[in-house]
Amino acid sequence: MNKANNAHEAQAGICPLTRRKFVKGLLAAGLLSNLPCGLLRPMLSEANEIVYEGNYEIFRNACPRNCYDTCSIKTFVQDGVVKFIEGATESTFTRGGLCVKGYGYTRRPYSPDRIKYPMVQEGRGSGNWKRVSWDEAMTRIAKKILEIQDKDGTLLGMALSKYSGNFGITNYGVEGMMSSLGYTTRLTGTPCWPAGIDAQNFDLGDMWCNDPEDMVNARYVILWGGNAAWNSVHTVKYVYEAQRRGAKIVVIDPLLTQMAAKADEYWQIKTSTDGALALGMARHILDKNLYDRDWVKANSIGFEEFAEYLRNNITVDWAAKESGIPAANIIALAEEFAAAKPATIWIGYGMQRHVNGGASVRAIDALVAMTGNVGKIGGGARYGHLRTWGFNYHALLQKQPEGAKGVPGKSEVKGDFHFAGGDETSDISYSDRSLNINKTAQVILDTNDPPIRMLWVACKNPFSQDFDRNKMVKAFNKLEMVVTVDQFFNETVAMSDIVLPVTTLFEEWTINASYWHYWLSINERAIKPMYETKSDIQIAATLSKKINELRPGSCTFPTKIDSKEWMAKEFNQGIYDLFGINSWEDLKKGPVKAKMHQAAWHDLKFGTPSEKYEFKSELAEKWGNKALPEYVAPRPKNDKYRLLTPHTKFGLHSQFVNLDWSEEFNPEPFVYIHPELAAEKNIEDGNTVRVFNSIGEVITKAKISTVVPADAILMYEAWFKNNPYNVQNVVDDTSSDMGAYKTGQPGVAIHDQFADVAKV
Amino acid sequence: MKTVESIRDFFLAVNSYELKQAYQNLSDQSQDEAPAVAHWQEVEFAFNRLFIGPAALQAPPFSSVYLDGESLVMGKTTLDVRQMYSALGLESPWKNSLPDDHISLELDAALAMNHIVQQTDQVEIQELRARFMTHMDSWVPLFAERVQSAPSHHPAINYVVKCLSQWLREETEQGKERI
Repeated sequence: MNKANNAHEAQAGICPLTRRKFVKGLLAAGLLSNLPCGLLRPMLSEANEIVYEGNYEIFRNACPRNCYDTCSIKTFVQDGVVKFIEGATESTFTRGGLCVKGYGYTRRPYSPDRIKYPMVQEGRGSGNWKRVSWDEAMTRIAKKILEIQDKDGTLLGMALSKYSGNFGITNYGVEGMMSSLGYTTRLTGTPCWPAGIDAQNFDLGDMWCNDPEDMVNARYVILWGGNAAWNSVHTVKYVYEAQRRGAKIVVIDPLLTQMAAKADEYWQIKTSTDGALALGMARHILDKNLYDRDWVKANSIGFEEFAEYLRNNITVDWAAKESGIPAANIIALAEEFAAAKPATIWIGYGMQRHVNGGASVRAIDALVAMTGNVGKIGGGARYGHLRTWGFNYHALLQKQPEGAKGVPGKSEVKGDFHFAGGDETSDISYSDRSLNINKTAQVILDTNDPPIRMLWVACKNPFSQDFDRNKMVKAFNKLEMVVTVDQFFNETVAMSDIVLPVTTLFEEWTINASYWHYWLSINERAIKPMYETKSDIQIAATLSKKINELRPGSCTFPTKIDSKEWMAKEFNQGIYDLFGINSWEDLKKGPVKAKMHQAAWHDLKFGTPSEKYEFKSELAEKWGNKALPEYVAPRPKNDKYRLLTPHTKFGLHSQFVNLDWSEEFNPEPFVYIHPELAAEKNIEDGNTVRVFNSIGEVITKAKISTVVPADAILMYEAWFKNNPYNVQNVVDDTSSDMGAYKTGQPGVAIHDQFADVAKV
Repeated sequence: MKTVESIRDFFLAVNSYELKQAYQNLSDQSQDEAPAVAHWQEVEFAFNRLFIGPAALQAPPFSSVYLDGESLVMGKTTLDVRQMYSALGLESPWKNSLPDDHISLELDAALAMNHIVQQTDQVEIQELRARFMTHMDSWVPLFAERVQSAPSHHPAINYVVKCLSQWLREETEQGKERI
């Protein structure tokens, strides 16, 4: 380090502000001709000759990760290099700030660990990699695709694993690339939030939340099963402001999260009993006539049946026993919530990752609705929305080549972010093969006729994010070729045959909308792509060029595209009108907010079949659930302790944890266990322990902590650069109760897991 | 000169063929015997683990990683090095896609500086060269040490690094004599 510092001292002053004079002298002396250097060349221009401090070019970017906040970013560039970033001040939501992860973005393009070139592995998992040109990589991939086509007569043997690693609108060009090759296999659905999406669709007719900035108007806020302090830091200021204006902030969570620590009141609920608590509160509100009779009468159907269900099946004492929250406190919570006008509940995604998750969300929706808080400023059952995502999906909507065959018949395209179902009028006689993304390993193993021969992985890290990692190893062994497009080396890349280097947000054009707030940002190309990286759509064009060279007519994706033009093609008049802009160019001046009412369902015209709030939903029943928001029991325990694997503070799913800034604060993973459990197992802080169940084990150090209940084990979901830690070794792929209606596949019961722990 | 060119080309090689070519050119110049290589593919795999990827690099070939204290590229050192090239009216053909402080680009700059120094008495260029050599001397030994102690170290790559260290030692000593 000293040496480094000395070196800098030695360099100080070399910056040749007299360069012009200097170079002229050398030129005059003829010394710049016939230089023996073979790489460096005479400067093409003097445009960037002297760079003054503060002389930045400013670009607009947006965080494209799977996050509530989808921050608008201002990027400061000098001489083609990102110097620093800030949150955009134009967005009242971002308000000039980013999160602890977002500030680390500059570390991404400039990490020496970045994947730089297309590479081929000689023996999956061997670590024997060869650098190849894009041409060679694409030749290998294209030949495999043509081989599959020739062998099977379809491309159903080619599957796509893509989800939320990059939510840019043009990144849907990955799905477009698959369509442009033919009918393929798609891993569809979402591990994130599908049970809640279906629940809200059954109850309200869509998932639509109030503007988070409107949280300040609430008189009572329950944050239920989500840790906003870590996962939506920008929303927390609105929670605080509500608190400052007199609202009570209540957190309900099995874990004493950072959000819980900041609340006025915290209830450590027994995991997966949220429905019992909500229904217990509802019963008390019903008994005490604290519900909003007028609202219910005017705006809902099925309330009487729901009330009947409560009277016959639910008591506060039962709810107390189920949830672990004393009856007196349930009563107080119910009375306070019903009395406060308006009151709101923020339904976290964690609480619906259960076998009864959708049912629990429906029970909470019912609680908000019966108190007349739906459609109100400062009210609402807040979960998420997709009202600002009405783009053209030009990159997504590509036509299959002529003569392509797939699964016979036309099937509806579904998915949380799949708004565009293709050309409904066309005479399509084939479809893609849809398989459950939440059972990726199982479906790869089970699927035959034709088997999945090739997997394309983009915007995703299946080994870190999909369930039952040991099963995933077996599944990958069945695949003939795995191509992974990524920025950093992880276990999925290690298990791939070919890796393709993808651009960071600073190196590509796209658009980013949020599933939570109402702002829209463009993402400009702020710097040249480093090394040989390409964006997802550029990769698709490169593949199309190669495969069409090998066999003309085998791919409809354009072979040459301009990323900026493709970004522009995603806009339409509807988007312009919604956001009050004349052109996408207006977004260069900063993010804009949708001109929407701040209260979801403010007009009380619901999207349900009855156009009312449906306490009783025939649609829910049609999709295999109870028509009423009845209680569904938690998953029976199948090992000693409950295992919880929520989000970490320093990462977002499998991203950020590997960056140096995150590593500084969070260098290694831990399993967190309660002092009582630690004593029982003779485990001390820092001991190496084994967390194990029927599907696998994780070995890591223990931290003794009271944030976790005594009967649970906590491990944060994350991928570390130099550590085999992987919570998916002990998380199985059991489905949650809802999700198939809107997202095509049921969700997954991530938090209904059980394991034992022992000192190693 | 050929020694430097060969080392430069070695660190820019994209496959075992190019590695072999550069290695042979280097060993032709050197008095020390180069270790015989039976399987060039193994050199290539080791080379990629050390310098290319896709896994985290065991010995990044960029000076900023060793000097900036942040283990990043395109930071202060990279841009200082860019300024030094710029002082000569030169720039990288891969500006802003490959960090300017890649070992091969720095070796290329050293070639240019040595050439100019031999043909002019300009104090500025002498100073610039001296500063540039001080810069190289501040990180190349750290780099060499990292390569040699890396899990994927390989005799052939160690040999190239040894030649690099040797060249640098001679250059810096010569520079001192001149001053």
